[in-house]
Amino acid sequence: MKVESTEVDSRKVFSVSSFNEGIALWLGKLPTVWVEGEVSELRRSERWGSVFLTLRDPASGACLPLQMPRGQFDGLRLELADGERVLAYGRPEFFQRRGSFHLRALTIERYGLGAHLLELERLKQRLAAEGLFAQERKRPLPRIPRLIGLVTGSDAAAKRDVLTAIAGRFPPATVLVAEAHVQGPRAASSVAAAIEALCERGVEVVVVARGGGSFDDLLPFSDERLVRAVAACPVPVVSAVGHEQDVCLVDLAADLRASTPSVAGRLVVPDLAELRAGLERSAVGLRRSAARVCSRHAERLARSAAALRSAPARELERRRDRLEATAGRLRALAPRATLERGYAIVHAEGAVVREPPASGSELEIEVARGAFGARAR
Amino acid sequence: VSERSFEGDQAELETIVDRLERGDVALEELARLYERGEELWRRLAAELEQTQGRIEELGRKLDADSADSQK
Repeated sequence: MKVESTEVDSRKVFSVSSFNEGIALWLGKLPTVWVEGEVSELRRSERWGSVFLTLRDPASGACLPLQMPRGQFDGLRLELADGERVLAYGRPEFFQRRGSFHLRALTIERYGLGAHLLELERLKQRLAAEGLFAQERKRPLPRIPRLIGLVTGSDAAAKRDVLTAIAGRFPPATVLVAEAHVQGPRAASSVAAAIEALCERGVEVVVVARGGGSFDDLLPFSDERLVRAVAACPVPVVSAVGHEQDVCLVDLAADLRASTPSVAGRLVVPDLAELRAGLERSAVGLRRSAARVCSRHAERLARSAAALRSAPARELERRRDRLEATAGRLRALAPRATLERGYAIVHAEGAVVREPPASGSELEIEVARGAFGARAR
Repeated sequence: VSERSFEGDQAELETIVDRLERGDVALEELARLYERGEELWRRLAAELEQTQGRIEELGRKLDADSADSQK
């Protein structure tokens, strides 16, 4: 692109906008760089699209205006204050309307963060190699803890969230709260001491809760002493530190990690209403099955009793029948003996003949070894 | 002294009924077996009744307890 100029009295003259455009173009060719300085005049408003601050060189007092889109700045969650030393990564930008110059930052980090992150990563690797974060070390939470320990800051919203969640789900729960420094240089040892004190009081599970904060605020929760204290805790530990996306080393060493303090509260106690309903279902099932066993036995016994009662009568009946049958055979034998002696029985029209029959009647003569037909004359 | 049980008595009763139904019982034995059957039945029925009663009573107690804890 070419910047327009005109000839006036044999001089090359630029309009303000073409001059500014030229500067902007030239500046735009400069590379993206890291600039280190102290934060001052930090200005942020919900109404503005960008956040403004001035980077100051503490040695010479030299100043550099800096801008960053507000969404990106908030996303870093730096919670910067004036006077803090930072590193800004950006490129120079010229604001043509005002003819002013600033650094357009792509990211900002606290001075020394890179070193911190590296150190943190090394610690994480070392503790992981020791097996401190191993899945096999995770212990299940007690189903109904008799005493719950809670470590939080003195008037933290985190404390309220945990207690509200516990009370809502399991009103009879007893919670022992140990207040600790959850920020600053004493935080790590203070939280570790609170965990130990709670364990001495006989808690069955410990919740460590802290609301969101800057990287520095959450740094104590990656302190080696505290991470080791959590791993060595004799009872299961539930951690709810920072927001869901911040993972500190305490989270990795804890037996269970909750995304928020409220979730931690819900995790450490069972739902009383659900528990009651389950118990009720068991009671109903118990009664039903006991009644079923009883009635099955009663039915079986009733069948036996019915069979028992009818059996002797039937047996006697059977014997009587057999006796009758034998008697019948005995009786039938008597006339047969007579036939054997040469007598015959004459039948006519199905009846035994006792009087001389009509002449021409068909007769059936039964003798000892069979029968034959004859006709009366 | 033999250890008697509900199941043992029940099995004995059922064996008696089976024998009586098959009819391989000497007449002199019929009355004796029947008497033994009736004796077993009385015992089993009483035991069953008692168990049923106890279960119902325990159920009522459970109801009362859970009504107390709901208060």
